[in-house]
Amino acid sequence: MNLITLIKIGWRNIWRNKKRSLVVILSIVLGLYGGLIIASLMITLNTQRMDTAINTYLADIQIHDKEYSKEYSLSDTISNIQYLEEKLKTDPRIKSYSKRAVINGMLSNSTGSYGVNVLGIDPESEIKVTNVYSKLIEGDYFESKRLNTMIVGEKLANKLNLKLRSKVVIAFQDVNGDITSLLFRVEGIFKSGNGMFDDYNVFVKNNSIFSNMPNLNSYHEIPILTTDENATQSLKFDLQKIDNSLEVKSWDEIAVELAYANKMLSSFLYIFMLIVLSGLSFGIINTMLMAILERKKEIGMLMSIGMTKIYIFLMICFETVFLSLVAIPFSLMITYFTVDYFSVSGIDLSVVGSGLENFGVGTILYLKLPIEYYLNLSLLVILISSISSIFPAIRALKINPVEATKSI
Amino acid sequence: MIETQKLKKTYKQGSLKVKAVDNVNLKISDGEFTAVVGPSGSGKTTLLNCVGGLDIPTSGKVIIDDEVISSYSSDKMIKFRLNNIGFVFQAYNLIPVLTAKENIEMVMLMQGYNKQEMDERSIDLLNEVGMENMSKRRPAELSGGQQQRVAVARALASKPKFILADEPTANLDSKSTAKLLDIMSRLNKQENITFLFSTHDQRVIDRARRVVTLEDGKIIKDIKK
Repeated sequence: MNLITLIKIGWRNIWRNKKRSLVVILSIVLGLYGGLIIASLMITLNTQRMDTAINTYLADIQIHDKEYSKEYSLSDTISNIQYLEEKLKTDPRIKSYSKRAVINGMLSNSTGSYGVNVLGIDPESEIKVTNVYSKLIEGDYFESKRLNTMIVGEKLANKLNLKLRSKVVIAFQDVNGDITSLLFRVEGIFKSGNGMFDDYNVFVKNNSIFSNMPNLNSYHEIPILTTDENATQSLKFDLQKIDNSLEVKSWDEIAVELAYANKMLSSFLYIFMLIVLSGLSFGIINTMLMAILERKKEIGMLMSIGMTKIYIFLMICFETVFLSLVAIPFSLMITYFTVDYFSVSGIDLSVVGSGLENFGVGTILYLKLPIEYYLNLSLLVILISSISSIFPAIRALKINPVEATKSI
Repeated sequence: MIETQKLKKTYKQGSLKVKAVDNVNLKISDGEFTAVVGPSGSGKTTLLNCVGGLDIPTSGKVIIDDEVISSYSSDKMIKFRLNNIGFVFQAYNLIPVLTAKENIEMVMLMQGYNKQEMDERSIDLLNEVGMENMSKRRPAELSGGQQQRVAVARALASKPKFILADEPTANLDSKSTAKLLDIMSRLNKQENITFLFSTHDQRVIDRARRVVTLEDGKIIKDIKK
């Protein structure tokens, strides 16, 4: 007996009770669809969170002085910056870079004081690296001719009741350890989609810092965007070789929690799907047991006329797997169309917007689902249904042909 | 030749032991057309089950062509049944999702025939039982008599030496019964296939050339016509 015949019998058998088979198929379709959509939501949330972080402030790679990350001291600036810039300008893997002077200070106005991270930037080059300029909800992005202007996050602006042209004072310890205060006027208010970032970071022109701090002779941070994210590691390695006094880190080394969440997500999703599909497998087992009970006589007859146990076993297994093989394409198709539609129109979650912003994600989710998830989760369904087929198949083997057929 | 020696089969019904077949010694030569008769519960079906290797005797032996098949392992027994015994069931037991031709080919597939052989033989067998025009019909599209004729063709597909048939005419009308008996009788004579029936049906008993009567699991009469 060949497998094709068994497959043929198995295939026809699942359509003997159409209603029952369709119920199981529908449950697999919905289970897999639900699982894939949840996977898509999780991946989208995580990706958008990473993208927000990378596009708003992290970039792909950052260069600091080796000592900088220890105390974030103003004096730990990048040395030999001109030589470094020459290298950066000529490397084809680098799309753009910027230079930042970073100061931790206390921002105060008549409403109150708040600890902030001041990013002194060159607006023209920063535009090429990060997208805060496109996240402005009020005012302009350093278009004023005034030197001491500032862009603040919406969350911080709300806390300190800052409006456009509001005056604020930033106090910090300078290179010599003396307390220095600088006066700024709010020129723009941004909303990056990451509430924590908006709460803590302000942008100023780096000239305003250097002109007021003659002892500060270089920059603290160089964020770099690569042309190809696959080139990040090799570029990082090569940049590190330029100067040992530098610390070159990729975004996942800087924002470790983001990278960790990204790594964990995949495992989490597969475990989640395994739980969902395990629940489904009980439905499959139940249906197959019913089918076997109905066909007890027929299976007994097959045993009587000489069908070996292995073929009986395989026949039941094929039937079970066919149920999922019918369901999978439908699941994949509706998932694909759903993801495709919401990847363009997006899902508006502004109802829970503040929560999402605290998580570092915008309020509109543009669904995405990598092709590997379609493939792997389909294989998982086939695996689960194959495993589910074992119990009914064993039950089929226990059928006594004499009892099943009542007579020979 | 089929032979049973001191064949016993006891079933447990709760705390009671029921002797379905009790010390039966029976020899059936090749080419016989034998009916096993008796009232309900006399052990006809159990005797056929034991002879066909579907049931394991409590004691005694079933010998077919000098082989003690009652001591065969389960797998060996399945292969033996496939190649030596054809079964005809009271309720036909055709596979509903397969056509008449495919039902017949099923047995040959298990035996490893190639497609051409199967095709030719299944058509021959359908001709033999007068079902050549209904080869593509599924069991649900056939009458009881037609289904039983397909079942006979299926039983013949493996070229068995013996056909064991349990109440093959029980669900058939007289016309279908006569037709079926004609076919089986012809096969018996032309192909020298041994037929062993269990039956209540007087029409079958009339056509049988040997009638073995069972009562309470024992042979009480054995008449050769």
